[in-house]
Amino acid sequence: METLFTNLALGFSVAFSFENLIFALLGAFIGTAIGVLPGIGPVATISLLLPITFGMSPTTAIIMLAGIYYGAQYGGSTTAILLNLPGEVSSVVTVIEGYKMARNGRAGAALCTAALGSFFAGSVATVVVAASGPLLTSVALSFGPADYFSLMFLGLIISAVLAQGSIVKGIGMVVLGVGLGLVGTDVQTGQQRFTFGVPELSDGVGFVAIAMGMFGIAEIILNLERPESRNVLTNKVGSLYLTREEFRRAVPSVLRGTVLGTVLGILPGGGASLSAFGSYMVERKVSKNRHLFGTGAIEGVAGPEAANNAAAQSSFIPLLTLGIPANAVMALMVGALIIQGIQPGPRMVEAQPDLFWGLICSMWVGNLMLLVINLPMIGMWVKLLEVPYRHLYPAIMVFCAIGIYSINNNVFDVYLMVLFGLFGYLCSKLKLEGAPLLIGFVLGPMMEEHLRRAMLLSRGDVMVFIERPISASMLAIAAIALLAMLLPGLRSGKEKAMAEGG
Amino acid sequence: MRRRGPRAAAPVWIIKTCPRGGAGSNEVRMKINAKDLAAGLVLLAFAVAGLWLNLDHTLGTARRMGPGYMPMLAFGLLLFISLIVLGMALFNGPDPLERWAWRELFLILAAICVFGLILEKAGLIVSLVVTIAISSFADRTHRPLGVLGLAAFLVALCWLVFIYWLDIRIPVWPTYFGP
Repeated sequence: METLFTNLALGFSVAFSFENLIFALLGAFIGTAIGVLPGIGPVATISLLLPITFGMSPTTAIIMLAGIYYGAQYGGSTTAILLNLPGEVSSVVTVIEGYKMARNGRAGAALCTAALGSFFAGSVATVVVAASGPLLTSVALSFGPADYFSLMFLGLIISAVLAQGSIVKGIGMVVLGVGLGLVGTDVQTGQQRFTFGVPELSDGVGFVAIAMGMFGIAEIILNLERPESRNVLTNKVGSLYLTREEFRRAVPSVLRGTVLGTVLGILPGGGASLSAFGSYMVERKVSKNRHLFGTGAIEGVAGPEAANNAAAQSSFIPLLTLGIPANAVMALMVGALIIQGIQPGPRMVEAQPDLFWGLICSMWVGNLMLLVINLPMIGMWVKLLEVPYRHLYPAIMVFCAIGIYSINNNVFDVYLMVLFGLFGYLCSKLKLEGAPLLIGFVLGPMMEEHLRRAMLLSRGDVMVFIERPISASMLAIAAIALLAMLLPGLRSGKEKAMAEGG
Repeated sequence: MRRRGPRAAAPVWIIKTCPRGGAGSNEVRMKINAKDLAAGLVLLAFAVAGLWLNLDHTLGTARRMGPGYMPMLAFGLLLFISLIVLGMALFNGPDPLERWAWRELFLILAAICVFGLILEKAGLIVSLVVTIAISSFADRTHRPLGVLGLAAFLVALCWLVFIYWLDIRIPVWPTYFGP
């Protein structure tokens, strides 16, 4: 317990340094802005800003990028409530009750519930991250290569199972991502693999080019082909204060949402949007006022908004303790860390205590900032909604183009990004998800290394994966998850949940 | 991708089976999922290409894996999965292919390619203006003056962020006519 306090003291001293405060604020600000704006999400924004962070210290960079992710959860609710349009995927369900509340003249109350619920959930999840971090890390340090391989395998399977759409296609994209990750120089023999003799590919396919292409450029084209229907129907936000009755109804939903979001955020493939869906389903089943759902029930705003923010924080747990990304945003974080020269994994807590504890403390500080940024300044964000998409997409495009060039000062990366933009567009037309590909790409090279080491240690005996208890249980869970999804009942349940959410 | 408009529906074969006894016929619809079929083909193409290119790499043994071992596992698994996707696509439809926004796709990708082509010769500012101009045709609601203002704003913003703050090595003005 005492060490926790000294660690937290260290964390706060890092988080309260002038530079980190400024960049946490900047991240929260950008996050809220892109959260409010439909058509650009945290994945695109973070890949867009990755090149800018290379000059910063790793801690500052991660603090800012994290701020964008959880800031987007706050901002997304504003658009959902005022516009009947999700600003983010994670606020899709907030639209259902939030917009009804706005039509009833309670927009201010809905926004206030979302912000306060998010703040509460974010604070709780931050404490969970701080407490579980060192615990999980000490467990992870006893992992052998075989255990690591199985853990990553489990992570990939779960992320495909929980991803939207077809599971088989999700797994296909994961494996394709692993394959793409193998392009480049083989670490152990130095042989060039799949490079076609192109020198730029000898370091592997550019991570930023994939992320920008599939999530930045492809998104622009997809947004352009949909006609824009964005008119702020609710200009009057109304009083931000909750009535006593509303407050009483929101509290239990926030509590349930926080717990659910924290748990689901840790799971690979989970994260903010899944948690928001889950919380909405739960609220509609168990809340006392479930008969009011569909008419603007505050529970339907409080629960999902708390859940998505809790999940945005707790999805850092597998990243910080095991080095395994739980979703596409965390895959970007891994990329950012690796480019900074830090290998994410259980040794990070000891090797980079500044980064670990600084990030955790900055999350809490950032949540506090977001409360201030969002509630009193709500009018400014509503104004931002008047920026049409036609003014937005050239900015996104140009930032991607300069950013990708600046990484290696090489135009090859620009063309590579274009190629992945085209591929991303193709994928979304065929309902192939990009997020599993990115996670597979990040984990692929690590899996190869652990597989090689495990097989070398076991003298080529595959049984090592089943004989080691940790590895065996990981594989068993993966098998159960796969088999469970083959059961028609569970699968239709998932499809139903997704359909109702979307 | 070939089909357009309302004809884009997935092919639905109706197989009429006559149950024994012949009292009426049941219609068994085989529904082909065109999206999944195409997705399966894409994955299959990657798998086959990967396995074929991997022939150049030594496999090694399970104990001492060569550079070709992990690619063999990954692309082999991808081949297996793509076949499952293809197989399932025969039954879980119909899900027709969607129209492509060729105009927007071409303009946006071309704008970025042009940026890459001229950046090192024409410098940042000229390349930005050209790129923004090309991309503005992708949205029909753009007005010339609005594009001009947008270009001016973005040039200023990019200069501030990338040149003034980050100081990246990138020519600002055209170098082609320079000394």
